[in-house]
Amino acid sequence: MDFSLNEDQRMYVKMFEDFCANEVAPFAQETDHEEKPPLKQLKAASEQGFLGAIFPEKYDGAELDMISYALLMEHLGKACVSTALTINVHVALVGSAILRHGTDAQKEEFLPAMAAGEMIGAFALSESGAGSDAAALRTTAQRDGDRYILRGSKAWVTNAGIGQLLLVFARTSEEAGGKGISAFLVDVDTPGVKVGYREKTMGLRGLVTNTVYFDGAEVPAERLLGQEGQGFAIALEALDLSRVGLSAICLGAAEAALENGTRFAVEHEQFGGPIAYKQAIQNMIADSRAEIEAMRHLVHFAAWLADEGDSRLRTQAAITKLICSEYAMRIANRMLQVHGGYGYMKEYAIERIYRDLRAMEIAEGTSQILRFLIARDQFAPHGISLRP
Amino acid sequence: MRIVVAIKQILDPEGITVNRRRERIFINREERIINPADKCALEAALRLKDAHGAEVIALSLGKPAADDALREALAMGADSAVLISDKALAGMDAPTAAMVLARAIERLAPFDLVLAGQTAADTGGDQTAGRLAELLGLPQVLQALELSLDGGRLQVVRLWDGKPVRAAVSLPALVAVSPLAPPARYPHGARIMNAYRQMQVSVWTAQDLGLTPEELTPNIESRGQVFPPERELGTVVEGPPAQMAGEILSLLRMRRLI
Amino acid sequence: MDFTLPKEYELLRRMIRDFARQEIAPLAKRVDVQEEVPREVIRKAAELGMMGVPFPQEYGGMGAGELGYCILMEEIGKVCTSTATVIGAHTGIGAMAIYLDGTPEQKKKYLTPLARGEKIAAFALTEANAGSDAAAIRTRAVRDGDDFILTGSKMFITNGPIADIVSVMAVTDPSLGPRGGITAFIVEMDWKGCSVGKVEDKMGIRGSGTSELIFNEVRVPKENILGQFGAGFVTFMKTLDVGRVSLGAACLGGAQAALERSIQWAKARTQFGKAIVHNQSIQWMIANMATEIEALRSLVYRTAWMVDTGQPFTRYAAMCKLYGSEVASRCISQAVQIYGALGYSRDVEVERMFRDARIAEIFEGTNEIQRIVIASDIMRQEGVRISP
Ligand SMILES: Cc1cc2nc3c(=O)[nH]c(=O)nc-3n(C[C@H](O)[C@H](O)[C@H](O)COP(=O)(O)OP(=O)(O)OC[C@H]3O[C@@H](n4cnc5c(N)ncnc54)[C@H](O)[C@@H]3O)c2cc1C
Ligand SMILES: Cc1cc2nc3c(=O)[nH]c(=O)nc-3n(C[C@H](O)[C@H](O)[C@H](O)COP(=O)(O)OP(=O)(O)OC[C@H]3O[C@@H](n4cnc5c(N)ncnc54)[C@H](O)[C@@H]3O)c2cc1C
Repeated sequence: MDFSLNEDQRMYVKMFEDFCANEVAPFAQETDHEEKPPLKQLKAASEQGFLGAIFPEKYDGAELDMISYALLMEHLGKACVSTALTINVHVALVGSAILRHGTDAQKEEFLPAMAAGEMIGAFALSESGAGSDAAALRTTAQRDGDRYILRGSKAWVTNAGIGQLLLVFARTSEEAGGKGISAFLVDVDTPGVKVGYREKTMGLRGLVTNTVYFDGAEVPAERLLGQEGQGFAIALEALDLSRVGLSAICLGAAEAALENGTRFAVEHEQFGGPIAYKQAIQNMIADSRAEIEAMRHLVHFAAWLADEGDSRLRTQAAITKLICSEYAMRIANRMLQVHGGYGYMKEYAIERIYRDLRAMEIAEGTSQILRFLIARDQFAPHGISLRP
Repeated sequence: MRIVVAIKQILDPEGITVNRRRERIFINREERIINPADKCALEAALRLKDAHGAEVIALSLGKPAADDALREALAMGADSAVLISDKALAGMDAPTAAMVLARAIERLAPFDLVLAGQTAADTGGDQTAGRLAELLGLPQVLQALELSLDGGRLQVVRLWDGKPVRAAVSLPALVAVSPLAPPARYPHGARIMNAYRQMQVSVWTAQDLGLTPEELTPNIESRGQVFPPERELGTVVEGPPAQMAGEILSLLRMRRLI
Repeated sequence: MDFTLPKEYELLRRMIRDFARQEIAPLAKRVDVQEEVPREVIRKAAELGMMGVPFPQEYGGMGAGELGYCILMEEIGKVCTSTATVIGAHTGIGAMAIYLDGTPEQKKKYLTPLARGEKIAAFALTEANAGSDAAAIRTRAVRDGDDFILTGSKMFITNGPIADIVSVMAVTDPSLGPRGGITAFIVEMDWKGCSVGKVEDKMGIRGSGTSELIFNEVRVPKENILGQFGAGFVTFMKTLDVGRVSLGAACLGGAQAALERSIQWAKARTQFGKAIVHNQSIQWMIANMATEIEALRSLVYRTAWMVDTGQPFTRYAAMCKLYGSEVASRCISQAVQIYGALGYSRDVEVERMFRDARIAEIFEGTNEIQRIVIASDIMRQEGVRISP
């Protein structure tokens, strides 16, 4: 066992740090306060190859391994959670699915454009009636000669409002549950596709999350990703990777919270000295530090499983996301407390981090659903098969 | 001017569910309130008081718990309150109740105006006000929305076939106020405290009103509850207006309704 | 033992509940977005005595004691935390200081218009370097003949932007420290030298203005000394004690509202072919919320009774604030979770409630300070003196 980063990874870290310090962190507050899509940051990221982080070089990707990708997400998460999530959806949810299941033609058509930032990807799975129970989705794709006709609507589609490419999950047969679902690569500009209401959210205010309507949108048959009926499996696989990315973002945001809290405790004096001397403060800092180290190892282990193509990834990604989202929220909550009244003010980054992180226990599988997945996996060998 | 307002305490209908299938009424939350129309009547009285000065007397016939309804009336601005409460009065029918109330109002004479709610949200009998007017020999105006005083006459805006119309009546008179009349004011917090801590509710018994057992014998005998049949689902007609109209016409013809 | 609420309080609760539902709740979203509680609402509340609930009727109050005041805060806390905060800072601390330690003349002159809601009060203690360590204030009041000249600035003052009358704590003798060297004053904001400084941009309770108050050589007549000269610290701490009980009541309202919304949504939302309430994960959340709320309710109303019956209550008031703020935050966070992605949207109330709730763990003495208060009170009986 070797816990050290390799030389490449160490180099990347340096690069991520510089990039985030110059191109992301300085804009985090305005991204939040003005609810501004992080277009500037995306452009800068594309120039560094980060928008094709895990794509092979032949598709203009940076060909990062998952551990390096997790390091990238950690640093982005530390600087600006909105920007980090935007990129994670683009790379780990949409890009990875094309990379794994796309035909050569599809890969050539989309991956280089995605890496260049000409196309930003969005992942359209959830619907107003199908959240945790995504397999209950009702958007349909009806085959009509060499095309599919899409009808229905999708909710909470991150990047839809700034993206060009929608990975849409729709029902191609009446078969119940996941089996009848297929995945399509749909251009936002297709007639019959309408990007609707942008969600006004508690945090993650740089994220552009919309409702998307499909009103008889015609999609050429060659835009089917994978086989008919394979869509749900494609979605779950993509979610495995993006949960690793999301966990890394939680880790980064928790580190940012801890750094902010530590600095505040050192600089801020009450009762004749820095509040760092108070044991209540020390305990909050110590617990957070300990949890961050646990998160880091979970993230790296899951990323390593992904790199190894290990089937344990499915459950481990769920475990990692469960722990990381809950720890990160808890850490932000403590660090806000360390800030006293200042923590409630928008001037201080911790205020934003706290609001941003509250989404993590909900998006990409709620904590309750993750617990279900983990328990199901635990009981399966004992002949008990759990249904949600 | 002296105004008597009759108010009834009822169970808050919001706390009640009716289960037709089991033919039972469930009380989920037992909260007693002033009957909404009676509260509007009280408000109308208080508005006359604000505008012209008046003495407002709240009168209720009910169980001892109706004391709370009268305290609320005091908190809202009534000057005094009378509760008619007696074991002998339990289980009265509507005619008897009106007779008892009339007897109490006579005892409160002289008065210029008697106000009551048009309808009770629990029994929905819609008869107390009319009966009272007859028993007291007063002219009556029903379904009132707004009251104002014009010289010696009372100007009333009342509902007639769903539309507001003007009416006038000489005093003394009885006016039944619609639950659609302007909603009651909130009582002031300090008056709420004082209504319980400082103010009095007089309690009158059957004997105080000189009521005899014969007079109190109900004329109506209760033989149990019947649940009216559930309304049948209607037919939904859709389409452009002309087509819908045609369809409705033929449906009505088919059922020989026209 | 008899836990029934006296009848007048039942009627009072019903009146306030109706008022809160009809006059305040429909505005709560607008209050958050437009960052203001409309003066019209305050005026209407004032007309019903709600701006002076605990004060005697001879001074224009409702005469309903701490019990009545807690009922008010609970009911308003259910529908709009910003409005509850405006009333809390006005009644619970600003005017309360004058009620507790004012002379009959001061009460006649100041408490009466405040209790009637004709004037708005604020409570000015905190400064840039004096938050938890309130004794570290630097605002100075220097004697000049029969007057005092007040100079300094206060920070994070609730109602600062709209206050007419402010209870201010200032140093009158720097050599003496908190016992003897600090005096409380009643200051009218339209006096020469008083001004409103920076207005804060906050996570939540955005309808309640929080600002700096600047005193530049303000001439304060000696009749406006509040309480004993040199005993201002005692006056202010005593005031905060009382304020904490009602803050706990407002938290109780918030938690109760979160529970009610959770129940509604858990019944209405279907996933996996059944209402989500049929999952134990959801049932447990609801059961835990309900249990904590009942414990909090007992604590708050028992403490209110202790206040009204003249028993020592400092420890219990701190518990109301500490436990109340934590229960509210926990319950509201669980409501957000039960709502799923919707809970993260500013289109639903629980989102605003989540941002609003967080402040209660910080202001009127952070929860760490409450723990110090409780531990000190316990240990004092053991003959041990604790320093913060
Ligand atoms: C900021 C943000 C961005 C998002 N971006 C995207 C995106 O890009 N693409 C996309 O497709 N979706 C996206 N989503 C949607 C997200 O994936 C869903 O919100 C999530 O799957 C939960 O679904 P729901 O919100 O409908 O909650 P529901 O499924 O309605 O859940 C409500 C509550 O019930 C619980 N629950 C449900 N079923 C069970 C069960 N069986 N056992 C126990 N508890 C249960 C849940 O845990 C939750 O507490 C995003 C959401 C957010 C907040
Ligand atoms: C929205 C808002 C409204 C407010 N309204 C008012 C108002 O109307 N009037 C007014 O006077 N003030 C008001 N305040 C100020 C509020 O009371 C203070 O913010 C609070 O007392 C904390 O002080 P601080 O912010 O300076 O934090 P600090 O005191 O600096 O605290 C920072 C951290 O250190 C911890 N800490 C401090 N000392 C100790 C110790 N000895 N042991 C352990 N931990 C410790 C704290 O708990 C906190 O976690 C308001 C604040 C806010 C945010």
